[in-house]
Amino acid sequence: MIPELGRGAVLLGLAACSVGAVTGMWAGKTGREDVWRWTRIAAYVFAAAITVATLLMEYALITHDYSVKYVAEVGSNETPLTFTIVSLWSSLEGSILLWAVVLAVWCAVFAYSMRDKHPDHAPWALGCILTVGVFFTFLVAGIANPFERVPNPLDNGPGPNPLLQNHVLMIIHPPALYLGYVGMSVPFGMACATLLSGRMPTAWARAIRRWMLVPWAALTVGIILGGWWSYEVLGWGGYWAWDPVENASFLPWLTATAFIHSSMVMERKEHLKGWTIALVMASFLLTLLGTFMTRSGVFNSVHSFTQSPIGPVFLGFLAVALLVSVVLLAARVDLLTVPDAKLAGPWSREFAFLGNNLLFSAFTFTVLLGTVYPLLNEVMTDVQISVGEPYFNRMSVPICMGILFLMGVGPALPWGQTEPNVLLRRLGTPIAVTAAIIAGCLAMGIREPMAVMTFALSGFAGVVTLRELVDPGRHRARALGEPLMKALMTTWRVGHRRAGGYIVHFGVIIIAVAIAASSVYRSEAEMTLREGQTKSFMGYDITYTGTERIDEPHRWSRVARFDVLKDGQPLGDAEPRLNHYKKMNQAIGTPTVMTGLDEDLYLSLVQVDPEAKMASLSIVVEPLVWWLWFGGGVMLLGSIIAGWPSNRRRKVA
Amino acid sequence: MNWKVLAAGLVISAPLVAILAAGFGRDPKLRSNALEGTQAPMFDLQTLDGKAFSLEGARGQPTVVNFWSTWCQPCKIEHPVLMQAARAYGPLGVNFVAVLYQDETSKARAYLKQSGSHWPTLEDPGGRTAIAYGVAGVPETFFIDADGTIVRKVSGPVSQEVMVSTLEQML
Repeated sequence: MIPELGRGAVLLGLAACSVGAVTGMWAGKTGREDVWRWTRIAAYVFAAAITVATLLMEYALITHDYSVKYVAEVGSNETPLTFTIVSLWSSLEGSILLWAVVLAVWCAVFAYSMRDKHPDHAPWALGCILTVGVFFTFLVAGIANPFERVPNPLDNGPGPNPLLQNHVLMIIHPPALYLGYVGMSVPFGMACATLLSGRMPTAWARAIRRWMLVPWAALTVGIILGGWWSYEVLGWGGYWAWDPVENASFLPWLTATAFIHSSMVMERKEHLKGWTIALVMASFLLTLLGTFMTRSGVFNSVHSFTQSPIGPVFLGFLAVALLVSVVLLAARVDLLTVPDAKLAGPWSREFAFLGNNLLFSAFTFTVLLGTVYPLLNEVMTDVQISVGEPYFNRMSVPICMGILFLMGVGPALPWGQTEPNVLLRRLGTPIAVTAAIIAGCLAMGIREPMAVMTFALSGFAGVVTLRELVDPGRHRARALGEPLMKALMTTWRVGHRRAGGYIVHFGVIIIAVAIAASSVYRSEAEMTLREGQTKSFMGYDITYTGTERIDEPHRWSRVARFDVLKDGQPLGDAEPRLNHYKKMNQAIGTPTVMTGLDEDLYLSLVQVDPEAKMASLSIVVEPLVWWLWFGGGVMLLGSIIAGWPSNRRRKVA
Repeated sequence: MNWKVLAAGLVISAPLVAILAAGFGRDPKLRSNALEGTQAPMFDLQTLDGKAFSLEGARGQPTVVNFWSTWCQPCKIEHPVLMQAARAYGPLGVNFVAVLYQDETSKARAYLKQSGSHWPTLEDPGGRTAIAYGVAGVPETFFIDADGTIVRKVSGPVSQEVMVSTLEQML
């Protein structure tokens, strides 16, 4: 039954979505209220149908219904329930279904929240978003149909990819990333609507910004969780490897970040309208490129699913979307441009934003080039190459330094023209702090240029950010005689967009410091221990206490136990393990990470010999890694504060 | 119509789509190469443990030379294939040797300790051997027969089938 019901729900969704795509454009063109209402209803039906299809798939997975093709491919009776549920996104067809359902729900939420707003733009926008929806639902209904009926179903399946059932982060990392990827369709639709209507009122520009903030925050969280997952699971003690698919998630994040900044110039000064719209479109197109990279098999990556027929179809859609975006932009962008708008001089906030946008664009281009270059080279010379980490690190470090620098300078500059002495007064304290940090680093023996520069620039940006957060409250407290804390809370509540933005900056600063410290001051070693033996590394005493074999239905594991002391104080037991999954030759390790505020001790098991009572370990000590995840949390907090709906309107109502 | 925007957009997007489209229909793991059928460039290098290795000394036996690095994801995918092949064909007289490509020896040592290896890994100071072999990126694998002739070059990770069929053909 499930194959037919699921297929039916998908087809209903496809029909609703197609109708809505057409009526949306129609309502946009004619401004007819009744057609707009039908478009919204189509969006709700689309969301409901695809949600039902997804729930049916989950039901089939949980009840191990091997007559459904997707379940027969990724299900197994032995897989624990949690991983059975999340195996929806462990393979190609399921993840396209997840994409479709997330998009359908976004459509419904957008339709509902726009029901009585922006009548000139919202119908166009929803029509465009539903058009994207038609493509993905078409995939689910056709070549990536997960509901295909298996003629002679077996009574067990192979189970999902072992790497993907090794850690709980697998439960949240992909959906967060998808929420971000798919969410980019909404601002894309809004950008198309702007061009189609030829007008961008300030309220609409603000709405685009808000709808971008949500997928941006989700993408931020998804990327950081991806790093965390690879750190906790892959066993090499790293969190970022410039893998094509990591880059694929990073690219739209870069353009979306550039957008968030350029939209502020646009709102205040009416500049950069066309550019800002182009950034929105680029962010969406890059998510398509990202999905293509993950799902087509053209790129070699740990994430790639095998060669699939979806590749050419997806590329066709990408090409059409690119062409439509470019032509639409070229045809209509001049309608948005304000003729006599001129940028202020170099020492102005607008100019800093412009610099920020240049750096982010350069960053995007660098990463895109590094990702696509191997393929380009292969096509030209028939030789495949991998540009790898050295290229990316060499190119990205200076760009990141520039971004950190502007993060400090930008907020210190006022909008419009500045007098040099004002500038000097504003930058005096931050420069002094920077000098103090450099001196401190040198005094403590920190000599690595990259580390010293990152710490110094982070201090610089940190001081400016803190001042921008606190100063309005201080002024208010002085002027009104309020207690400082109350004044601070009031200014943060009223200016929540601004405050949220600076909190995000704090998160970025924390992450920059963590990356610099953990990559420059990482130490590793390997050691082999006999049972009962103790060895020391970087102030840790590690004692091997024994091994145990643990049998579970879907795997068996060899667990080695170690007592760990840090500077003579007990830190706890470490239990790194090697997991052997059924139908998989190689063992997959689960490292133990002992996290501290100052540094992480990272232990992964290389080999265990139970007869000889020996165990080999690879040990990594990395400073400040915890702060990387913490910084991600701060960024999320800041974006929630910035994107929180203003309560001004609610009070009026 | 803003022609500048149109031109800029097309200049960026058209080649991108063309490159991606050209990426289809090729097995990224198998590629012909001008070096096939020629004499393999000789090298004398040191292993990570400081021992000497010379290709000249391996003559008379088939040799598999694999260029790799720890920052290369495809190399990690390829590693188990090399492990199995070395275990199966090492005893039959096939030499396996790896050359580290643009990487730090400490990282390579750590990786090999964890993932294991049944073959010497050589340092290639200045990448001279990689240049001699025309290595443009990693992984690349050269199959050299007992006379020192390059029988086959594979760019990208070698699959189990290619590995087995090439070795069977050389033995």
